[in-house]
Amino acid sequence: MSETMRPTPEAERLHREMEAVWGTPRGWRGLFSVVNHSTLGLRFMATGLVFFLLGGVLAMLIRTQLALPDQAFMSPEIYAQVTTMHGTVMMFLFAIPMLEGLAIYLIPKMIGTRDLVCPRLTAFGYWCYLFGGIILFSSLLLEMAPDSGWFMYTPLSSSEFAPGPGSDFWLLGITFVEISALAAGVELAVSILRTRAPGMALHRMPLFAWYILAMALMIVVGFPPLILGSVLLELERAAGMPFFTVAGGGDPILWQHLFWLFGHPEVYIIFLPAAGIVSTLIPVFAGRPIVGYGWVVAAIVITGFISFGLWVHHMFTVGIPQLAQAFFSAASMLVAVPTAIQVFAWLATLWLGKPRMTLPMLWITGFLVIFVCGGLTGVMLALVPFNWQVHDTHFVVAHLHYVLVGGMFFPLLAGAYYWLPLVTGRLPSERLGRLGFWLTFLGFNLTFLIMHWTGLLGMPRRVYTYDSAMGWDLVNLISSIGGFMMAAGVAAVLLDLVLHGRFGRTAPRNPWGADTLEWSLAMPPASYNFASLPRVESRHPLWETPTLGDAIARGEGARPGAAHGRRELLGGEALTGRVRELIHLPGNSLLPLYAALCLAVVCVSLLTRLYPLSLLGLAGAGVLLLRWSWENGGHRLAAPLGHDEPEDPPLHSRTADGPGRWTMGVALLADGAFFLALLFGWFYLWTVSPEWQMPARSPLSLPLLLASGAALTLGTLWLERRVAALTRGREAGLVLALGGIAALGGLHVALLVVALLNAGLAPTATAHDATLLVGLAYLAAHGGLAALLAVLQAWRAGLGLVGARLPFEPGVVALLWRYQLGAYWILAAAMGLLPRLMGGGP
Amino acid sequence: MTVLRRWWAPSHPAQLLLGLTLWSLWFVILYGGLSVACELAPPAPGQGALTAINAGLALLTLTTLGLLAWLAWRGLRAGRASVGGSRFIALTGAGLHLFSTAGVAFVGLPIVALPPCL
Repeated sequence: MSETMRPTPEAERLHREMEAVWGTPRGWRGLFSVVNHSTLGLRFMATGLVFFLLGGVLAMLIRTQLALPDQAFMSPEIYAQVTTMHGTVMMFLFAIPMLEGLAIYLIPKMIGTRDLVCPRLTAFGYWCYLFGGIILFSSLLLEMAPDSGWFMYTPLSSSEFAPGPGSDFWLLGITFVEISALAAGVELAVSILRTRAPGMALHRMPLFAWYILAMALMIVVGFPPLILGSVLLELERAAGMPFFTVAGGGDPILWQHLFWLFGHPEVYIIFLPAAGIVSTLIPVFAGRPIVGYGWVVAAIVITGFISFGLWVHHMFTVGIPQLAQAFFSAASMLVAVPTAIQVFAWLATLWLGKPRMTLPMLWITGFLVIFVCGGLTGVMLALVPFNWQVHDTHFVVAHLHYVLVGGMFFPLLAGAYYWLPLVTGRLPSERLGRLGFWLTFLGFNLTFLIMHWTGLLGMPRRVYTYDSAMGWDLVNLISSIGGFMMAAGVAAVLLDLVLHGRFGRTAPRNPWGADTLEWSLAMPPASYNFASLPRVESRHPLWETPTLGDAIARGEGARPGAAHGRRELLGGEALTGRVRELIHLPGNSLLPLYAALCLAVVCVSLLTRLYPLSLLGLAGAGVLLLRWSWENGGHRLAAPLGHDEPEDPPLHSRTADGPGRWTMGVALLADGAFFLALLFGWFYLWTVSPEWQMPARSPLSLPLLLASGAALTLGTLWLERRVAALTRGREAGLVLALGGIAALGGLHVALLVVALLNAGLAPTATAHDATLLVGLAYLAAHGGLAALLAVLQAWRAGLGLVGARLPFEPGVVALLWRYQLGAYWILAAAMGLLPRLMGGGP
Repeated sequence: MTVLRRWWAPSHPAQLLLGLTLWSLWFVILYGGLSVACELAPPAPGQGALTAINAGLALLTLTTLGLLAWLAWRGLRAGRASVGGSRFIALTGAGLHLFSTAGVAFVGLPIVALPPCL
């Protein structure tokens, strides 16, 4: 409990009771089994900080190499590895996980709940991130790092030009890390929608939660295209399937599409949470509500959508028709509008309030200056003729650093200084903090403002040195000096962060006079956040009721204590926040760690080409994840049926629409994005690839496809009927029915596999056959999973873990069946039927 | 059907996504349609912007524009007549539909000036 609070005896009793249920065991077991969002959020951020420092060292190596002309400080090969890894580490191992960590730590506290809705998924995501990051970064230490640029363009990253394992490290490591991002995206979205405090309707939600909701959904939709691209490129490199090789009917430009379909939204995935920090801090330090809450919400939603329509502006030089370029140019300018709405809302809030120039506000001011400049050069780059001129020069490098460092790093540090007292209960040093800011701000501008000029003078990016006659000596030297000045600024900030834990002044409660719920908590917060759950009737609960924290600690809110021994949250309606159910969460578990370890084995064995071991690792991960799903609902380790069950509201596993259903829904959204990217790849190669070979007759047997689809359709309809009956309280014959449904699923997969084997595909010879193989494998894997889950449901029904009193789980499984039904018929039509109708041949 | 009718109401949160989803669909069809049409039946370069492809894209754009403008007007009217959370959703939704309308007009403008496949 906080040193600044004087807890009452009742608060002390509640604290002990809650801690017994929510706390983390001490020692090694606790270290590895913790699933608490506060601990894991901090771990994400600490790990992200380590990777930031490593990426920063790489940046200093680059600036050292470029400081003077004709330097041999690094060989061209090492320079290519260092630049590739700098971009990769900063984008994938620092920016995204750091912001996810912040969201994981803050969101439950801000929306008035005790944890995220899938705590084991949080832990699994963290371990995947840690192991993936270690595997990826180890390539640099082994001098085997990827060297094709952080965007890994083919054919530079293909086997022909990158025969070593560098590209494989990138493709496998990044995919591993992306599992973590997707896990966080899914659970943050569901948590925000379904576990807000009672009364916190959408229009009362803190703006930070709006930003994180948008970020989470963008991750869910934006990351799968890159995962698909990575899978295809790894299949090309390891098995020779020519997705990106023209001679085999592939197209290297397909990689660029898949990469930038992810890559451009990623810029906004990074920017939006940072803008959320800005929108949270400015009202606090201006001492008034933000101007235009609704406008800012609209701007967030607009950014979330429009940012997916800009990807081709990274590809203006690849030979796309002018009219198509004009569409993307216009869309690229359009995205400036929501950003401008936010900037004007921030300025108006400062204008109408009484701003206090505290240390966090200093970083916000730095953000405003740098990010607006980055936005303006972004509009310049949206113009096709200008884009052609500066393409692949240091101008683009300067622009992206203005956007990403200005748009993410500065707000992140503002947020760090703002929320530090919440985490540690202490205040950092104002003097050291200001020194850090000015060194960083001046150093940054010295490096990158000048770099625009370097680019305009024609210096291309990713060249390891330059001749003095080019006239780039002075500008590069200035940029390098600025880079080291910025590094000194970062060092000062780090020193401040480290020292404040020992020497910082004890922070008073709610030291900034903030309005959001996290400041009602103890500093640092307890493992359960809220001893009782607050009711929220305003956008600014702490401005309305400054003593809310005391009332919560005394147990005057909803569901105080944990005498029942369950970790409980309140689940609410997404729109109104009205309470619907009690969500019971799982406790600490080692399963997430073990499952991530198995995936690490898969990753390493694929790198070392030990394929049997990778299959073993995959099977191990599958078994562990299924075991994880087993310990749910009415299981004795979760919430077994009893006689004194809460009824108003009921436990979520006793209803038909708990958060697990939403989690499955959002996860399937990610799956759908992967599927659509695959469909895009099929049609793209079909229409654009110059050597695409469509056989005169489709190799897929139409009767087999129809029979397989019929089995799936029957199974899905049957399952839907049983789910409807279960919600009406009818459970007779459930075990048999679920068994029959599983059998139909098995038949569906078996027929699909027969169709695949009969097709006689030559996936290493043509991109057509390779794409067909991937499509059918995708369907078979999903069909197999759907059938397996139906088997497990039948088993659970037999054990009494599914039934009229526990109707929840079949509805979750039904969503997967419904998804598979849609995906199957769409893919069967696109790959089996359409080629027959359109005709094959070259 | 009941679910669809509920989602269609101007005060349902789905309205926060509908306008920009329509914008996205229009954008995908615009870019995809142009690419496929240029691959299958590219017009003679001398025709400029007076081609069947441009006409088709313009028709699609005008239809989408009309639908979005109507949705914006509908949301605005509903928002003015409601209070609290419903008012917030309806008015924000109307703003998003309006932005999507402007987005379609702005991005679609080059259709009247540029040849499709050069």
